[in-house]
Amino acid sequence: MSSDSQASEGEVYSLNMGPQHPSMHGVLRLLLDLRGEEVIRAKPVIGYSHRAHEKMAENRNTLQFLPNTSRVDYLSGMIYNLGYCQAIEKLLGIDVPERAIYIRVIVNELNRIASHLLWFGTFLLDLGGITPFLYSFDDREEILDILDQVTGSRLTYCYGRFGGVTWDVDETFLTRATAFLARIRERLHMYKQLVTDNVILRERCTGVGVVSEALAKSYGVTGPSLRASGVAYDVRKAEPYGGYDRFDFEVPVLHEGDTMARFHIRIREIEESCKIIEQAIEAIPEGEILPKKMPKRFKLPEGEYYFAVESARGHFGMYIVGDGSDIPVKLKLRTPSFSNLSAMPETLAGTMLADTIAIVGSIDVVMPEIDR
Amino acid sequence: MGYFGNVFGGFGSLLSGMSVTLRKFSQTVIRRKAVTMQYPKELPELAPAYRSAIKLIRFEESNSHDCVACKACERICPSYCIKLSGGKVEGIKKKRVAEFEMDFALCSLCGLCLDVCPTDTLEYSKVYEEAGYNRDWRVDLLAEFRDYEEEFVAKQRVIEEKAAAEKKAKAEAAKKAKEAKKKAEADEKADNDSKEELS
Amino acid sequence: MPQTLTQLLDGSVLAMPIAAGLIMGMLTVNVLMLVWAERKVSAWIQMRMGPTEVGPFGLLQTLADMLKLISKQLITPSNVDKPLYHLAPLLAFAPVVAAVALFPFSESTILVQNDYGLLFVFAFGGIAVIAIFMAGWGSNNKYALLGAIRSVAQNISYEVPLILSALSVVLVVNAMGPTLSSGDGVVAINGLDLSHIVMTQDQQGIWFVVLQPIAAIIYFISALAETNRAPFDIPEAESELVAGFHTEYSGMRFSLFFFAEYTNMLIVSMLAVVLFFGGWDGPVLPGPAWFFLKSYAVIFVMMWVRWTFPRLRFDQLMTFCWKVLIPLSILNLLATAFVIAVL
Ligand code: SF4
Ligand code: SF4
Repeated sequence: MSSDSQASEGEVYSLNMGPQHPSMHGVLRLLLDLRGEEVIRAKPVIGYSHRAHEKMAENRNTLQFLPNTSRVDYLSGMIYNLGYCQAIEKLLGIDVPERAIYIRVIVNELNRIASHLLWFGTFLLDLGGITPFLYSFDDREEILDILDQVTGSRLTYCYGRFGGVTWDVDETFLTRATAFLARIRERLHMYKQLVTDNVILRERCTGVGVVSEALAKSYGVTGPSLRASGVAYDVRKAEPYGGYDRFDFEVPVLHEGDTMARFHIRIREIEESCKIIEQAIEAIPEGEILPKKMPKRFKLPEGEYYFAVESARGHFGMYIVGDGSDIPVKLKLRTPSFSNLSAMPETLAGTMLADTIAIVGSIDVVMPEIDR
Repeated sequence: MGYFGNVFGGFGSLLSGMSVTLRKFSQTVIRRKAVTMQYPKELPELAPAYRSAIKLIRFEESNSHDCVACKACERICPSYCIKLSGGKVEGIKKKRVAEFEMDFALCSLCGLCLDVCPTDTLEYSKVYEEAGYNRDWRVDLLAEFRDYEEEFVAKQRVIEEKAAAEKKAKAEAAKKAKEAKKKAEADEKADNDSKEELS
Repeated sequence: MPQTLTQLLDGSVLAMPIAAGLIMGMLTVNVLMLVWAERKVSAWIQMRMGPTEVGPFGLLQTLADMLKLISKQLITPSNVDKPLYHLAPLLAFAPVVAAVALFPFSESTILVQNDYGLLFVFAFGGIAVIAIFMAGWGSNNKYALLGAIRSVAQNISYEVPLILSALSVVLVVNAMGPTLSSGDGVVAINGLDLSHIVMTQDQQGIWFVVLQPIAAIIYFISALAETNRAPFDIPEAESELVAGFHTEYSGMRFSLFFFAEYTNMLIVSMLAVVLFFGGWDGPVLPGPAWFFLKSYAVIFVMMWVRWTFPRLRFDQLMTFCWKVLIPLSILNLLATAFVIAVL
C-alpha cells in the first residue's frame, strides 16, 4: 500500500487478533487494519492447525482413513465420518441395509443439532452472553450422551463402516432421542425468550455483516450462511444421499443475509432436524446393520469421483482419485468453512470491531476443518 | 409508538429474558437441579459401547485370551499403535502371541482392529481416568495373562491331545467303517458272484 | 449533627489510621464476599454449583484466590510507560476507598460527615476514569488502549444521566421543607447531604423509588455502565478486547483493579439505596444491617442482569446514552421541577 492512500485513510493501525484470542474459535488469526474501532481491512490467516489429513489419505488404505474423517471437523464428526462411508459405498456399489440407513440419518441429525447448539452458545459468548452458552452446552451434553451410547465416543466418532455402522441402536437409544426432541423444543422456546427476542441481540445482529447473494455465490459460501443469503441450496435436497429423500423436511431460507438471518436459519434448522429424527425413529425397520457380503478390500476403481454431503456448516465434498488399488491417489476434502471464511474480508470491511467478532462468529467457522 | 414504543418494547424483552434466568436460578437453588456431576465424588455411568483403550478379552473356558498373533490388527491399525510378536509355542499346535504392546497415546479408537481380529479377542476397555505424568502410554496387554500362560498351554495341550486323539479315533473309526463297508461290499459281491454262479 | 465515628475519635492521633483500617477491612471482606456471591449467583443461574470445595459452601475460595494473586510475582512488561503503569492500579483503588467513607450506614455510623457527600461520591467516581485511561495508555497494548478509550467515552457519557437522575432526587429532598429534624434538633435541609436524603425518606415515610421511578431506572442503568458491568462491560469485553484496559496487569496490581471494580459496585448500590430505597430505614434490624441488606439486594440485581444479557456494541452504547437516557433524565428532571414549582 502506498503512503498516499495511507494518509487519506487517516490514522490506521493494525491489530493482530488471534490465533490466541478468546473469541477466535480455535486458531483463526485475523489481521485487522483499524481506524479507531472501524475495520478497514480484515485478512484471515489460517493454517495453525494443519494436520495433513489429505496427505494421510494418500498413504493409507480407504478403511484406515475412517478415523481421520471425524477429526477434520470435530463438531460434526459424525456427518463427516458417515459421509465418507457413503462416498466409498456409492463408488463401490455397496448396498446399505435399511436399518443402517435410518440409524445413520438419526445420528447425523443429532450431530447436526449438537453442532448448531455449540454454535449458538459460542456465538452468544462472542456477544458477551455467557448464560445462554451454558444452557446450550447443557442440551448439547445430552446429545453427546445419547451418541456416546451407541458410538462409544463423544466427539471424534468412528461409528460408520463401509456398508453400515458398528453398533446397533437399542430401545433406550430411541426413547432417549425422542425424549431429547421434546426437551429441545421446550428449550428453543426458552432461548427465544432469553435470546432471540432480546433487544440487545437484535440490535447487535440486524443489518450487521450482510453477505449478499452474489457475494455468497462468488465465494462458494454454503450451508446455513448461504441459505441466510437467499439461496435454497442444501445437499440433502439438491442431491439426496443416504436416504434423505424419504423424509419430509424443509430447507429454511431467509433473504437478509445479515447476522440475524444466519442466527434464525440455524435455529430453524434445529427444528427441521428434529422433524427428520422424529420421522426416522418412527419408521426405523428391524434388520441387519452391516451387509452380509462385503468385499475383502475396498479397491477404488480407476477414475475421479466426487461426492458431497451437507455438514452442519455446509457443502462437504470429497474428490477421490482412484487407480485400482485400495489407496487413493488423491483425496481432496472440500470443507465448507474455508469458502465461508473467504467471503469474510469483503464482509468485514467497514464494520466495527465488535461486529467483526459477531460476524465471524455467525458464519460458524471451525478452524481445523479449514486447515485440515 | 415510535421512539417510546421502541424503548418500552426493548425494556419488556429484557425483562422477559431476566424472568428466564430468575426461573433457572430458583430451580437450581430450591430444587437443587444443578447439572454438574461432581466427578471424583460421583462417577459417570459408562455406556455399553464406550470406547477406551483396546484390550484382550479373557475367555471363560480358557481363562486366557485367544490371540493367535496373526498380526491382522497390527496391519490395519491406522495409528500404528499395536506392536506384537509371537508364533509357535512349545508343546501345542496353536500359535500364541508373546509380546503385545499397545500405545494408547496413539490409538484413535477407531475399532478397525476389533473388526479384523479373526478370533474376536479384542475389545474396548472401560478405563477413562487417563491422566498421566508423561506421554508414555504404552501398555503391555499381556501383563494380566502371563501368569496363566503355562496353565493355558497345559490346558491347551490337553485339549489338543484330546482333539488329536478324538481325531485319530475318528479317523480310525472312519477307516474301520470304510474297511467294514469294503468288506461288506466285497462280501456282497462275492455273494452276488456266487448267486450268479448259482443261477 | 449526628454523632459520627470521626467525632468520637476526634483529637486522637489514631483517628485516621483507625478509620482507614475499618474501611479497608470492611471493603476487603466485602469484595471477597461479592466475588464469591457473583460466582455462586452465576453458577446457580447457569444451573451449576459454583465453588464448593474451599471452606463451607466454598466461602473461602476467593480468599484463597486473593492469597494466590498477592503471592504472585509482579510482572512489568517491557516497553510500558512505567510511571503510569505502576500508578494506575493505585489510582483506581484509592478513590473508591475514599468514597465509601462518605456513606451513612445509619444515623450515627458515618465515618466522614460531609455536607456535599453526593457530589464527592460522583467526583471520586470520576477519578476512576483517569486511572483506567492511565492503565490503558501505559500498558502499551492495543487491546488495553482500545479498552481505555471505550471506558473513558462510556464513563463520561454515563455520568450525565447518572447525575441528572440523582439531581431529581435532590430536588425532591429540597422541596420537602426548609428544615429537617435530626438527632441534634432541627437543621436546614440539604439535598446534597447523603444522610439528609435518607432522613427525608425516613420522615416522609416514603421511598423515593416511588416518587421517582424513572430516575431510579435511569440511575440503575447508568450505574451499570459506570461500573463497567455487563451488558455495558465494553471496556473489558473479553470476547473482543481480551481483558480490556487491564490486559497487561497481573498479580497484586490486577487485584487492585478487581478490588476497585467490586467496590465500585458496592458504592453505586449504596448510593442507590441512599437515593431511592430509604438507606438504613427499616424495622427491627439495626440501621447498618438494613443498609447493607438493601445494597446487596441491588448488587444481586446487577449480577442477575450481567448473567442474562449479551453485550451492547460501543456505538449503540453511546446512542443509548445520548438518545435515550439523557433526554429521558432531562425530561424527568424538568417534570420534577415543574411539579415541585406547581405544588
Ligand atoms: S482402535 Fe484403531 S487406532 Fe486403536 S489400536 Fe485399534 S486399530 Fe489401532
Ligand atoms: S488380529 Fe486378533 S488374533 Fe490377530 S494378532 Fe491381532 S489380536 Fe491377535
